[in-house]
Amino acid sequence: MSLLSEIYKTLGFTYRNFMITKRNFFTIFETLFWPVLGLISVGLMSIYLDLEERYFAFILVGAITLSILQVSQLDVAYVLLFDIWSKSLKYTLVSPISGWNMILGSWLFGIARGLIAFFILFLSSKAIFNVSLLISFPELILFLFGVFLSAKIIGIITCSLLLIFGYRAEIFAWTLSAIFMLICGIYYPVSLLPEAIRVISYSIPLTHFLEYYRSFFGFETSFPDPLATGYFLSFAEISLLFLFYLWALDRARKRGTITQFSE
Amino acid sequence: MIYKSLRSEKVALKGVNLKIPKGKIYGLLGPNGAGKTTLISIMATLLKQTRGKVEVLGFDSIKEAREIRKRINIASGNPNLIWSLTVYENLRYYAMLYGIRDRSVVERLIDTFELREFRDVEFNRLSTGNKQKLILARAFVNDPELVFLDEPTKGLDPPVAKRLREKILEMQKDLGISIVLTTHYMSEAEMMCERVAFINRGEIVAEGTKKELKGLLKMRDKITIETDSEIPHQISLPDGVYMMERDGKSLSFYVDDAEKRLWEIASEVAKFGRIKNIAVKEVDLEDIFNELAK
Repeated sequence: MSLLSEIYKTLGFTYRNFMITKRNFFTIFETLFWPVLGLISVGLMSIYLDLEERYFAFILVGAITLSILQVSQLDVAYVLLFDIWSKSLKYTLVSPISGWNMILGSWLFGIARGLIAFFILFLSSKAIFNVSLLISFPELILFLFGVFLSAKIIGIITCSLLLIFGYRAEIFAWTLSAIFMLICGIYYPVSLLPEAIRVISYSIPLTHFLEYYRSFFGFETSFPDPLATGYFLSFAEISLLFLFYLWALDRARKRGTITQFSE
Repeated sequence: MIYKSLRSEKVALKGVNLKIPKGKIYGLLGPNGAGKTTLISIMATLLKQTRGKVEVLGFDSIKEAREIRKRINIASGNPNLIWSLTVYENLRYYAMLYGIRDRSVVERLIDTFELREFRDVEFNRLSTGNKQKLILARAFVNDPELVFLDEPTKGLDPPVAKRLREKILEMQKDLGISIVLTTHYMSEAEMMCERVAFINRGEIVAEGTKKELKGLLKMRDKITIETDSEIPHQISLPDGVYMMERDGKSLSFYVDDAEKRLWEIASEVAKFGRIKNIAVKEVDLEDIFNELAK
């Protein structure tokens, strides 16, 4: 098993997602139209409510994070969805690839799409609302990478559910990120949430990454080091969820789900 | 011995025991739902057997599945690949999944399978024949030692099917690979396979070369006699007749030796009606299949 060969297998999924996105108007829409529309509507609402600039930034951070999370996690889910829709899953899974090749390759393209969405929204918030969300470059990168890890978490959950529940689970590709954002404090601090839900919020890395970014605009964080907490939780959860994904894949091979998806 | 139970079906495979020879085309024949695709899917590591052991190219299908996947490939008669990718992009994507960096492999396959003029055409815009060619080209992208072809000519026009069969034979000969082929077309199996196994209701009911199978069933020839009137059911069959089929005024007798039995059979039939035509032919796979599928 040469490293170069493994890299190439991983990039196979990046290449496929790129080629499909390039040709698919719908996926371009996902990257540009909905995120910008969301930002403008939330921005206008903030102007109407006459929010202070730091609260305005708080809201916009939520809107932007939701968009990049949604765009990036979709690419991870697409690694199975494109094959399921085309009924070609067996041709992908008969090749000597690992679960990591699939998740990592599609996630890389998700990062690229997420970065494009971020820069468009970042520039739009400055141009349209004159709100700068700029923080120092390394801190911005650390925040973004954290959000991309959260996208990977959601993507792995969606892929696992697809293998377990079949076509019915594709709805999760469009709903899970919104549910995550709701729990993680999209437009409000998580301290507002009922205590039982707050416990769940703290177990989700995205909560800490959002608090980390918002801390640069003067907001308090729930934990002393939200970045370290977020990264620790991300790596722990990705490891566990990846095992869950491998179990779901193995279960699909036992139950004949892969061949059913290809008929 | 392989066993497979699926939730949607009762029992897909019941104690299948097969040895597939290297470097040959091996046919898996059987009626719909017999378990052919299930067996191929298990050998291709897409499905795990409930019980039993499967070795493919010397590797265990469960413990060493990845080693098997490096060395095998599969193509089925349902031509499904990523719709919005072109011929080139589809092949390049699958080549990448095998860690193949050399793009000339893709270009060579495009030429070999006569897809050059469709190189940049999206999969969903290809004709069924060209889609099937691409599916087959994909199956050779990793230079496999063993290819599973699951009804590769299903639903194709006869000339396209013929061309594809020739291409498969050519590739098998040139590369010296092993092919496991399932098909509903007995003529296809007869033309391509050196050995065949008949599966029915999840069990192998017979296995061997065409000659061996004929020996197994003891019927070598088929005598068809057409008469001017329907022959009554009480016709007595002489020794050496293993089966008789009726189709209106036509009777078919499956016999051990047509030369020995023809006179006796014709005399018996002539008692009930005037013989218009007699045809004698060697029993083919279709006849054997029909008998085994009963």
